[in-house]
Amino acid sequence: MKMPGMTIKHASAMPAPTWSWLKMNNVKIEIPDGLERNCQVEIDAGDALDNAASFEGSVASLQERMDAARAEAPADGRAMIDAATGADRGAEKLDVPALSAYEHRAVRSEIACDIASDFETGVGTDIRAYLNFLAGGTAVLAAEEDEDAEAAIRVTTRAGEASGASVDIVAAPRSTFSVTLSLDSSADAPSFMGSTMRVFADRGARVDITVYLTASDAVTCVEDSGFVLAEDARVTVRHVVLGGAFTATGLSADLRGDRSRIDVDTSYLASGAQQRDFNYVIRHRGRKTVSNMDANGVLTGISKKCLRGTIDLVHGAKGAEGNERETVLLASRGVDNKTIPNILCDEDDVAGNHGATIGHVRPEQLFYAACRGLSQEQTEALFLSAKLEDAALRAPDEAVRANVVRLGNQIIPHFEEEIA
Amino acid sequence: MSTNPLLSINNLTASVDEKTILHGIDLNVAPGETHVLMGPNGAGKSTMGHVIMGDPVYTVNEGSITFDGADITELTPDKRSRAGLFLSFQAPVEIPGVPLSSFLRAQIAGRPGLEMRGKEFRRRVKELAAELSMDTAYLNRELGVGFSGGEKKKVEMLQLLLLQPKLAVLDETDSGLDVDALGVVSRGMDAYRKATDGSLIIITHNTRILEHLEVDRVHVMVDGRIVREDDASLIPWIDANGFDSFEREAAAAAAGETR
Repeated sequence: MKMPGMTIKHASAMPAPTWSWLKMNNVKIEIPDGLERNCQVEIDAGDALDNAASFEGSVASLQERMDAARAEAPADGRAMIDAATGADRGAEKLDVPALSAYEHRAVRSEIACDIASDFETGVGTDIRAYLNFLAGGTAVLAAEEDEDAEAAIRVTTRAGEASGASVDIVAAPRSTFSVTLSLDSSADAPSFMGSTMRVFADRGARVDITVYLTASDAVTCVEDSGFVLAEDARVTVRHVVLGGAFTATGLSADLRGDRSRIDVDTSYLASGAQQRDFNYVIRHRGRKTVSNMDANGVLTGISKKCLRGTIDLVHGAKGAEGNERETVLLASRGVDNKTIPNILCDEDDVAGNHGATIGHVRPEQLFYAACRGLSQEQTEALFLSAKLEDAALRAPDEAVRANVVRLGNQIIPHFEEEIA
Repeated sequence: MSTNPLLSINNLTASVDEKTILHGIDLNVAPGETHVLMGPNGAGKSTMGHVIMGDPVYTVNEGSITFDGADITELTPDKRSRAGLFLSFQAPVEIPGVPLSSFLRAQIAGRPGLEMRGKEFRRRVKELAAELSMDTAYLNRELGVGFSGGEKKKVEMLQLLLLQPKLAVLDETDSGLDVDALGVVSRGMDAYRKATDGSLIIITHNTRILEHLEVDRVHVMVDGRIVREDDASLIPWIDANGFDSFEREAAAAAAGETR
């Protein structure tokens, strides 16, 4: 049965919005009209495909530990708490501040310390609900305590179809879990595919997630994820976004446990009239937590890109450090690039750093390349092919590499032969 | 001087930001010849190399450049390169995001006789890297990023050997190099000459790099003018006496012009 088109508004929303007229606070996702639901997902996980473990159960277990620790902590008497709870309705205390809607929500969340209710994904609840509907159920992949596990998830779609995956990843204490997610399609007519993922990394667990998006120009694609990290958990995420007419990539991470750490490395390419949207929200709630977001992209043609990166240094995250950096090369004049690094802070003993380098190919670089026989167009194309070549060289498996090569062949003549 | 020069520069005047840098330069280089362009710092030697290559920073106000029988004065740098000209940079540019191997492959694409694909290309580049004592790990690194000065110059030599141009202008390729790196650059120049019998214009103010080369002509440039031309015997003379006398003569000539 064909489904009517749909618009998901306010997707990938920044936690603390900026001026609306900048049109950067969120994005609208248009699901094409007349698509048929056809879930095309392959999961190769061996013993890791597990129906005994659950994301909710793991979160509940962490919640118990957090509650026990909070029970022994002294009461929080900050004026912000009075303001959020309305404890000073008579306005007797002079230091009770007026809170914005965002601050109010943030303080209420601190008071509740409810991991399940704080859980969020980068793109948001509406798209998660739609992807769950497309998937028809959630697969749970689990790595047991002290063990190593691997999984490969492949999502695809065909012309005129909508396909989605819903996966929970649960890494037990001190386990290592390596997951590859491939979103690939060569559909030549409007279609949709996506994935929504919840990841729980328990005490001392190590989770590595690699996502490759290699869809054709006719595909709308959403990759959504949410992470909860317990004490000493370590997560690395690599997003490689090379194709797709419109893509939305969202990641939200709750660094709940002390000394937990997440490193997110994003590599993207947009050509022609393609559009890329990224929303990263990393909330440091545990002490001495660390986050690094590194994005590196190339935009050509009349492509558009918006990247929102929020580091939230929540009260109590003493010794936390969050860093975000982006390097964007605008390889042609018609591109539209937006970058919004955002650092929220309600704790003194923390460090938050951000930086962005945005630029065109410099004249001296153009001249140097010209001295080697490359025209401006050829030099700009070089950045494109270099990005594809790097993605092919670092592909996690042969199937993903083949997807990159297929995409590369469409953009660069003889791409496959060149990198053979 | 050959009657059929490969490169012929006639009465060339060039400027940047309305300041004239080169004044009425005449220079002819025949096929297979090695010329040396010497002079003190700021004489205009590097500008000359860049103008020959068509750097858009400079404006040619007068004169012409003919290469291989065609007037290239108005030609873009990429077309000059494809016609067989090469400029080795004094300070090679870094291009983050582009691996050296991708850059090399793009250079030979579409060049008759040079185009190679896949394994053939990699084999050739590895051979050249070995010839220049260059670690092949550099081929997968971003162009110039984190390279030492010596490695950057080796990459310049690698490109020279890969492209086999008809004429190469080497702009102070020897500057800032230690003895070992200098040896590698000399080997690169020798290999280029042996492989192609191409022409060279070596821009330098250091005579060490010339010790193992057969030099046909030496040009001394001061204040944007060629003030002296001679055979290779001029090199030891400059080594012993420096450029002072040329600078004094140029200053006297300029004073005479203004009177």
